[in-house]
Amino acid sequence: MQAPGFQLKSEVAAGGSLRLYLSGRVTLADGAALWRQLNATERQEGGTQMDVGGIERLDGGAAALLTAFAAQRTASGASLQLVGAHGETAKLLELYDCRRTGTCEHPVPKQPGLLADIGGFTYGAIQTTKAIFQFGGDLVVGMLHAVRRPRTVHFGDLGGLIERAGADGIPIVLLINFLVGAILGLQGAIQLHRFGGDHFLANLVGLSVVRELGPLMTAILVTGRSGAAYAAELGTMTVNEEIDALRTLGQDPQRFLVFPRVLALTLCLPILTVLGDLIGCLGGLAIAVSYLEQPSVVYVQALQQAVEFGDVATGLLKSFAFAVAIGLISCQRGLASRGGASGVGRSTTSAVVVVLFTLVALDAVFTWVFSLLGW
Amino acid sequence: MKVLQVRDLAIGYDGEVLLDEIAFDVQRGEVFAILGGSGSGKSTLLRTLIGLQPPLQGRVHFTGIGTPARAMSPPSFGVLFQSAALFGSSTLLQNVLLPLRKWTRLSEAAAVAVAMGRLRLVGLERFAHHLPSEVSGGMRKRAGIARALALDPPILFFDEPSAGLDPITAAELDELILTLAGGLMVTIVLVTHELPSIFKVADQCIILDAAAGGIIARGNPRDLAEQSTDARVRAFFRRQPLARSM
Repeated sequence: MQAPGFQLKSEVAAGGSLRLYLSGRVTLADGAALWRQLNATERQEGGTQMDVGGIERLDGGAAALLTAFAAQRTASGASLQLVGAHGETAKLLELYDCRRTGTCEHPVPKQPGLLADIGGFTYGAIQTTKAIFQFGGDLVVGMLHAVRRPRTVHFGDLGGLIERAGADGIPIVLLINFLVGAILGLQGAIQLHRFGGDHFLANLVGLSVVRELGPLMTAILVTGRSGAAYAAELGTMTVNEEIDALRTLGQDPQRFLVFPRVLALTLCLPILTVLGDLIGCLGGLAIAVSYLEQPSVVYVQALQQAVEFGDVATGLLKSFAFAVAIGLISCQRGLASRGGASGVGRSTTSAVVVVLFTLVALDAVFTWVFSLLGW
Repeated sequence: MKVLQVRDLAIGYDGEVLLDEIAFDVQRGEVFAILGGSGSGKSTLLRTLIGLQPPLQGRVHFTGIGTPARAMSPPSFGVLFQSAALFGSSTLLQNVLLPLRKWTRLSEAAAVAVAMGRLRLVGLERFAHHLPSEVSGGMRKRAGIARALALDPPILFFDEPSAGLDPITAAELDELILTLAGGLMVTIVLVTHELPSIFKVADQCIILDAAAGGIIARGNPRDLAEQSTDARVRAFFRRQPLARSM
């Protein structure tokens, strides 16, 4: 390793006082060695002087280190003075000296404790819930207004939004639902085969997929694709003041941006759910044929008997509610973004987490209500 | 002493030349302004100077460093972007610490001391633990300067430093530029079209014009404002609309 370009020497004067001498090229490139050597010098309670008159070249980084060290020693009770500076060295040391600005102490802000964290989280969750309900109320009012005056809604984006949320999502919805149907079929087939209940596989897969897994898995996929995209898109627009610009142009962001997105999801998600239901049942069929060696016609006939229109309708009812929840929460979280790129990231994460929680909660409520109604 | 030499430079996009035959020198400790109207190619030239955009032709040479390549060595210049470009998820202190942690062997305490020194220089030490979103636009610009200064680069490039700032904050930034150039002997190349700033801080300047496809004037801004016979230069410095032939 190259020797540093500076020399730091210490000398004890006749009276016993310590004097340090710093000379040579004192630069940030040798900053690590400088800091180490400075901290290794003896502390003297009576006060120490450091003669910096021999410095040939000093840069800003090294000046910052020297002044910080002097302030630190002085604060700890062992006063340290930098003396003998001239020319550019004196100018630099003055520029970086915290005593000039009175800012030598800069305490790090205290991190909140666990209790404060829990309180903050709870308060935030209540505020978020309140904001989402308020946003939903505003949307309903906006919808009623839109029914009376359809021209106030920005339908120009609707086609593109439907394509992005619906058509572009079909391949992944089909793939995931097929795999879910197959996994469910395989797990069920193993258990049912033990008890000679092979012919119940269609009931298990069909009802599980159509009533629960199809709508839920499809909604989760749409949350990941479209919900996150809406939150990020509207969040970026918010931090770039595009939303404010819309307001100043007399446009209501809800009618201009939110309503078309919620509408697009409401139209697409039930269709994607039906496709997901069909392909999920086909996943079960694949297992019935390959694992249980059941003729496909047997599986299809059992499926026809097991799954009724009411089962499909309950799934579709759920998917309709899921679509509104995804659109509403994602847009609200996006519009609530604050503070640049990291704010957009936080609101996107928040949108996905809140939507997923809401989907599962809604699913539980629907299932409970349907069971009470005997559907 | 020349710290930056630009020779026979042609810049543009997708092979299409925007500015051609750009040539100038920047001396140590000088504040050098790149001027011109909107769309004249100022920011494109700046991006080429700092190596973010390759030139179509010609070369940019930093004395003792060479061409501005993003190599595995500490950056030889600091840059203040128009939006300050601070990392939003990091405090001002962490933003300044970033290059120090990457390119020096300083201990954490020493790196913090240096970063605090930079923030003190720009008057932001009390806001060290604030996020960029928690401070004003002018403060963000000053924090951007502190970050650009972190490694003591000999040259600083500023893109529209006073754009969007109130006159007092802009004047404070001008004072800071003069302190950096006068006190620290840092060479500053700045892109701007703020006339008060130009007259206050710039020693030399070039004026770009997209229609002319290059430099239309060079020299001290006050001298150019008073003595230039070029109608485009006079219109620029006097904030007058340019009479165009129909």
